[in-house]
Amino acid sequence: MLERNLSRRGFLAGAAASAAVIGTAGYMSFADWDVAHAADAKSEPTFAGHSACGGCYSKCAYSAYVKDGKLNKLVGDPEHVYGVGKPCARGYGWSQIAYSENRLTDPLKKNANGQFEAISWDQAISEISEQIKEIIATDGPQALSLVETGSVSMDFYVQRLFTALGCANMYRHGVACNLARNSGLLQSAGTGDFGGDYPNAKVIMYIGRSFADGIRPAYAEEVKAAHDNGAYMIMVDPRYNSSANYCDEWVPINPGTDMALILGMAHVVVRDGLQDQAFIDNETVGFDIWAESLKKYTPQWAAEVTGISAENIERFATMMAEAAPAAFIDPGWRAVTGCSYINSGETARALACFNALLGCYNKVGGAMLFPASPALAKLEGTKFAAPPALKEKKLGAAEYPVSLYSMVSANYLMQEAKEGKVRGIIFCQSNMVGGYSNPTELENILNGVELTVDIDVQMTDTARCCKYVLPDTTFLERDDLPWSFSYTTPCLTLRSKVIDVVHPNTKPVQDITVELAKACGVGQYFDFTLDELAAAQLEPTGVTLEELREIGSINYKDKGVDFGGPIKWGTKSGKFQFANEEMTQVGLTPDVNWIPPKVEPGEGEFRLIGGKQPIHSQSWTTDILDLIQITHDYDLTRVWINASVAAELGIEDGDEVEIYNDLNTGRTRAKVTERLHPSCLWYPSPYGCNSPDLTNAYHVGLSFMSFVPFQMDPYYGATMSQEATVKIRKVGA
Amino acid sequence: MMTRYGMLINTLECVGCYTCRVSCQRQNTLNHKEDFIKFTEKETGTYPDVSTEVVPTQCMQCDDAPCAKVCPTGATYIKDDGIVRVDQDKCIGCKYCMVVCPYNARVVNYETGTVDKCRMCAAELAANDTPNCSCVSACLMDCRMVGDLDDPESDISKAIVKHHAKTLTGDKNANIYYVR
Repeated sequence: MLERNLSRRGFLAGAAASAAVIGTAGYMSFADWDVAHAADAKSEPTFAGHSACGGCYSKCAYSAYVKDGKLNKLVGDPEHVYGVGKPCARGYGWSQIAYSENRLTDPLKKNANGQFEAISWDQAISEISEQIKEIIATDGPQALSLVETGSVSMDFYVQRLFTALGCANMYRHGVACNLARNSGLLQSAGTGDFGGDYPNAKVIMYIGRSFADGIRPAYAEEVKAAHDNGAYMIMVDPRYNSSANYCDEWVPINPGTDMALILGMAHVVVRDGLQDQAFIDNETVGFDIWAESLKKYTPQWAAEVTGISAENIERFATMMAEAAPAAFIDPGWRAVTGCSYINSGETARALACFNALLGCYNKVGGAMLFPASPALAKLEGTKFAAPPALKEKKLGAAEYPVSLYSMVSANYLMQEAKEGKVRGIIFCQSNMVGGYSNPTELENILNGVELTVDIDVQMTDTARCCKYVLPDTTFLERDDLPWSFSYTTPCLTLRSKVIDVVHPNTKPVQDITVELAKACGVGQYFDFTLDELAAAQLEPTGVTLEELREIGSINYKDKGVDFGGPIKWGTKSGKFQFANEEMTQVGLTPDVNWIPPKVEPGEGEFRLIGGKQPIHSQSWTTDILDLIQITHDYDLTRVWINASVAAELGIEDGDEVEIYNDLNTGRTRAKVTERLHPSCLWYPSPYGCNSPDLTNAYHVGLSFMSFVPFQMDPYYGATMSQEATVKIRKVGA
Repeated sequence: MMTRYGMLINTLECVGCYTCRVSCQRQNTLNHKEDFIKFTEKETGTYPDVSTEVVPTQCMQCDDAPCAKVCPTGATYIKDDGIVRVDQDKCIGCKYCMVVCPYNARVVNYETGTVDKCRMCAAELAANDTPNCSCVSACLMDCRMVGDLDDPESDISKAIVKHHAKTLTGDKNANIYYVR
């Protein structure tokens, strides 16, 4: 968040600093390119096409304007249902990645001294494909793996390559994001996520969720609508986050005990007979089992665990039940329910069950299950036909059978790699080392893997640990495949190339993938152009590629949620599941029961909790000058500490402090605040880049995950980012 | 009646997301250190009864702009519509304007050595219906308005009356109003 007043002294000092790092590698230096594209002050920017932000996974669409070939203003496309015409700070900032002086410009190979040397594309593709073929011949395709997070075409092409190779080991970033949440919701409501009818809601409870820190613009619009229409909003969070001013009440809670609050509230609802019995009878299974368990979760018990008074727990439960079905608990995202605690997934399941007590799914003002996304062509029996289906499941699927398959568990992959069971890993724009788990441990594991390749636009902490690094173009410099998805309404969107390639020796990820496929002997699955594929995919939508390129995004408003209509639950039982026998496979009870946090702070210790700031997406935006400058201007790499606790420790606002535990020690400054629960310290999660090539981000702030051990929760396989404690002391005291 | 452009910022709805700062940099092709919009955050109360306020500030387009008065070359001038502008070709980078600005609103462009500040581009862009990413258009929470303060029937004039909005310090010469 925003920090100190600007002093005139700091202001002038900032203005005097210089910045002149000249790009080196590449056929054309950045400085040369910049001169060639020097803007003529008199010309007007012109519309160059619809792009879509790459700053986070929401991929909000905007119209890109270009002046003398260089990206100029960005104007949000309102039809995009995540972006709603309003890119956030990260989006406006990340657009500058194309012109970053720290771009990757040529294929690189690490030499015997551990230094990168530029090599030709032919050499890179040839050497990498030879190693892939040798690994498959010797140990089979399951000795390979893929970790990717990126654009729509990246998903399609690299996943198709791995399918063609017969390798099921495809992973994403969910382990350090919302793996546990999506899995817990899947096992109860049959879907990985849900939304809310914010404009019509009467009571909304957020649990560790801050729409103003982890921004998706649609949420900002919704929360404002809820606020303007008089919804009562309750913010449960150990930190008074940036969204809390929009809420009617801040409820600081003992970190990691949110599930106990929900269980206590559920106890009150069922004890007092306030549940929607008709919904429960018609739409759910297992209610009686949970109702029996809930008897022990009295408000007094929950008060003891959470630190929230029993009166307030009673009040929240009653308020929500009386407002039902126009009330719901928000599903959260990464934080409490996503991957932070051993009980994160079960907290997600608990809140889904609480909403089911309210009977609020797909009711006006209630929780909303997303409608189907626009159907794209299946492409069977055409020249675009997919490779044969995979025979095996990915590593970790057997160990985490109740988790969402697509998100299981990159940490498990790394554990297997540590034991030598994985010989090759290809990363695509996934900075695993920078954020999935403990960076030191991940780096050590990667160093022991024979073949490591990263396809990316910048030298991330992960790229730095790989043996080959292949330079992708940025999203602005290439066309993408159509993206069909659904939020509370379905949406179809297309990102187009809006500027010329800046560095001529970079290649779009899809072209890199096709070259690798051909060299690996599976080129027959890629015998088409991107445009041919895109046109074929769009065929059932009734919109042609040319039309979608012109429109950018389509919001199918008339195909939104059918309020009060029949619900098709995506569960095995076809009903909402208060209890589910499958949970016993991982040692859970069929219904949701209390699981305490794994770690409790001892004497002098604090739980380290973290979160986003509105200007950064994990680690990948921190090298953007526009964004990291805000970090510097407002000293956003400070550690938050409760004011009373700080006074006891003799720490004053702005003091240099040291945070430490067995894994790491780091120095930063203290932000002494009344906005934090006394049992924890809060630190922003994106900082502490350890890659010297990212000169703007390198060693700015501390690496949050360096204080967290390499671990996974035993139920869903998530990274447990807040199951770690630290101590703090004033430097020089 | 003349046109006198001004702005209204509702800090009760600002979440301090910095979007306006960066969108302004795109709209006006600024470098990363040119922050035409700055932020001050205030925390009040004692745990757990706390609240916060974020106040974005920028050039207040003062009627009697002191920056224009001290400018030795006439680089800073006041347009007929009340907007204070800086002619970059005339600026010699003496920074007198920075010293007298009561709102710390001016910024040195480290690439040119000249001084710049908010151009209230939102007013003209809105008047011409030009697609843009000014602070007013980009605000995620829609907490900004721009318009003609001299027209009592304009949306902004009505909103200022409705919300009892005031300038930051009660300064009668400032043309940015705040709801706080």
